[in-house]
Amino acid sequence: MRVLLAAAIVLLLGSSAIHAHEIGTTRVSVVFHEGWSYDVEIVTDAAALVEKLAAVTGQSAPRDVGPSGLQSLLTTFDDVFRQRVSIQFDVPADRPAIVYSVASGADATSGAVATIQLTGTIPSAARQFTWRYGWTFASYAMTVRHAASKSPAIEWLEGGQTSAPFAVRRPAPAIDRFGTAWRYLALGFTHIVPTGLDHMLFVLGIYLLSGRPRSVLWQVSAFTVAHSITLGLSVYGAIAVSPRLVEPLIALSIAYVAIENIFVSELKSWRIALVFAFGLLHGMGFAGALKELGLPRAEFATALLTFNVGVEAGQLAVIGTAFLLVGWHCANRAWYRRRIVVPASALIACTSAYWTIERLCS
Amino acid sequence: MKSRSLFCRLVLLIVAIVVSGASLIAHDMWIDPTTFSPASGQIVGVRLRVGQDLLGDPVPRDPALINQFVFEDAAGRKPLVGRDGADPAGFLRVAAPGLLVVGYRSNPSPLEMTAEKFNQYLKEEGLDAVAALRARRNESGSKAHEIFSRCAKSLILSGTPKDDQTDRSLGFTLELVAERNPYALRAGQDLPVRLTYENRPLAGALIVALNRRNPSEKLSARSDNDGRVRLRLPAGGMWLVKAVHMVPAPAGANAEWASFWASLTFELPTTPAEGN
Repeated sequence: MRVLLAAAIVLLLGSSAIHAHEIGTTRVSVVFHEGWSYDVEIVTDAAALVEKLAAVTGQSAPRDVGPSGLQSLLTTFDDVFRQRVSIQFDVPADRPAIVYSVASGADATSGAVATIQLTGTIPSAARQFTWRYGWTFASYAMTVRHAASKSPAIEWLEGGQTSAPFAVRRPAPAIDRFGTAWRYLALGFTHIVPTGLDHMLFVLGIYLLSGRPRSVLWQVSAFTVAHSITLGLSVYGAIAVSPRLVEPLIALSIAYVAIENIFVSELKSWRIALVFAFGLLHGMGFAGALKELGLPRAEFATALLTFNVGVEAGQLAVIGTAFLLVGWHCANRAWYRRRIVVPASALIACTSAYWTIERLCS
Repeated sequence: MKSRSLFCRLVLLIVAIVVSGASLIAHDMWIDPTTFSPASGQIVGVRLRVGQDLLGDPVPRDPALINQFVFEDAAGRKPLVGRDGADPAGFLRVAAPGLLVVGYRSNPSPLEMTAEKFNQYLKEEGLDAVAALRARRNESGSKAHEIFSRCAKSLILSGTPKDDQTDRSLGFTLELVAERNPYALRAGQDLPVRLTYENRPLAGALIVALNRRNPSEKLSARSDNDGRVRLRLPAGGMWLVKAVHMVPAPAGANAEWASFWASLTFELPTTPAEGN
C-alpha cells in the first residue's frame, strides 16, 4: 500500500498545478552573482517537507522529531529531494550543491523551518534561468535578483509549476548622458595618464623642442585637430587602418620627434605639418582603444566627444607637469638644452625605437 | 426487514476503494489542530493545511481570505485569535472539558482552468452533474472560470467522550456534520455523516474519507436523499472526511462556476492493538 501511495504522491507532486491555491509558508529566493554563480534559498516547513519525502519513498515520517533530527532526515533524502527541484539554464549546467539546515520555529507554537541552500556555477554561455519546485501544494513567491540589484523580480508559482525565464545577466543600466560624459572623459584621460606611456612620450617630445609657449601651442593644436579628425572618422567607420600598421607608426613618430629635438632647437613649419600627420596616426590609435572600450549606442556622440576631451586633458596634464618640473625654472638656462632636452629626447628616441621594432615583430 | 434494509444500504453506501493514483488537479484543505485531545485550560494551535492525501503544506493566517474562523463549545461560539501571516493560523483555549467544533470558512478565490483540466477535476471530485450540464451546453471543450471556497471543520475532544457530545452545524454554505461523536466510537463502527448545502441536505454528493496512516485506501460513498452517508471507519487515528459541491456562479462573480470544499477532521480512538 505504501508503494501505491508513493506512486500517487510522485504523480500529484509532478503535475503542473493550474489551481490558484492558498499561499503557503514556502519562499524561494534566487541571487545571481557577477562571478557567474547562483544561490537559491528555499525556506519551507521542515516537517511537511520530510513527510512528503518519506511518503514518496514509501516510509512513514517519524513524528516529534526535533530540528536536528529533521535536518539529518532531509540530508538522507537528498536524492529524492532533487527529483522535484529543477534549476535549468538554456545550456547544460552542473548539478547544484545543496546544504540543508533546520531551525526551530519563531515561537513555541511554530513548526521547525528548513532552509535549503542550492549553489552552483552559471554556465558561461547561459542567458536564461528557469525554476521548478515540486515539494509544495500551496502557492509560493519566488524572488529573483542580481547581487548588485536591490529590487528583485517576484513571481507567484504553484507547486510543480515552471517559472518564467529570467535573464541571468544584469540588464544594462539606463543610459544617462551626464554619467556617460563623465565616464568617457575619465577613460580618455586615463588612456594618456597613466596607461598611455607612448602618447605621454610623444607629448613630452613636442614639449621638449622649445621651451617657448608658442612652440608648444602650435604643435599641440596641430596634434589635437589631427587626432580628432581620425578618431571621429575611424569610430564612425569612414576609415579603417590595421592596428598592425598604426601602432608601429605611432612608435616611429615618437622616435622621429625625439631625434629631431636633438638636432633642431626651433619650431619650423615642417615640424607643425609633421606633428599634424602624426596626430592623424595617433587618432587612429585612440579610436582602436575606444572601440575596445565600447561606445553606448544611445550616447555615441557624447562618448566620442568626451573621450577626446579626456585625451586632451591627459596631454595638457603631461605638459603642465613637465613645465612645473623643468620648464618653469630651467627653460631659459644655457644648459637646459644640453642637460635636459638632448638626454631626455635621446631616452625617448631609444624607447620608441625599441617599441617600433617590438610592434613590428609582434 | 428494517435491519436488513439498513444493512443493504450500509453495504451499498460504504465502498472501500483502493486508489492507485491520487487526484492530480484539486487540492484539499483541512484543519490539523496541534492536538485532538487537549486538557482543559490548554491552548490549541489550529493549523490550516492544503494538500493531498493528508500530506499538506501550512497555510498561514490570511485576513483577506477569512470569512469565518471560529470555534464552538458548550458556552457558545468564539473567534479564533491569531497573528496574520503566522502558522498556526489560529489559537483557542479549552475552557472546559467537552467537544469543540472548529470551523474555517474562506472567502471565494478565483481560478481559471483549461477545458481538459477542468473536465478531469470534475471527474476526480465526482461532480458528474456539472460535467453532464457542460456536455448538454456543448461547453465540455471550453475553458472554465471558477470561484472556490473552503468550508473546513474539525472536532476536538477535551476530557472523556460521551455519546451526547455531538458535532454542530456552523452554518457554512457546504458543511459536513458528524451525527455521532467520533470520539465515542471504536474502529470498525459506523460514523453517520450528513452533508448540507445552504443548510439543506445535499443528495448524491461524493463523500470521501481517508486516514492519516493509510491515506491511499479511501472510503467513498454518495450521500442519500437526506444528505447522509454511514462511514465504517476501519482504523483509529486522524481521519479526514471531505466533499465538494459545485453550482453555477452567482451573477457578477466573473466566473461560470462556484465550488465549495467541505472537510471534517477528527481522531478516532486507537485500539490497544493499533497503538500509536
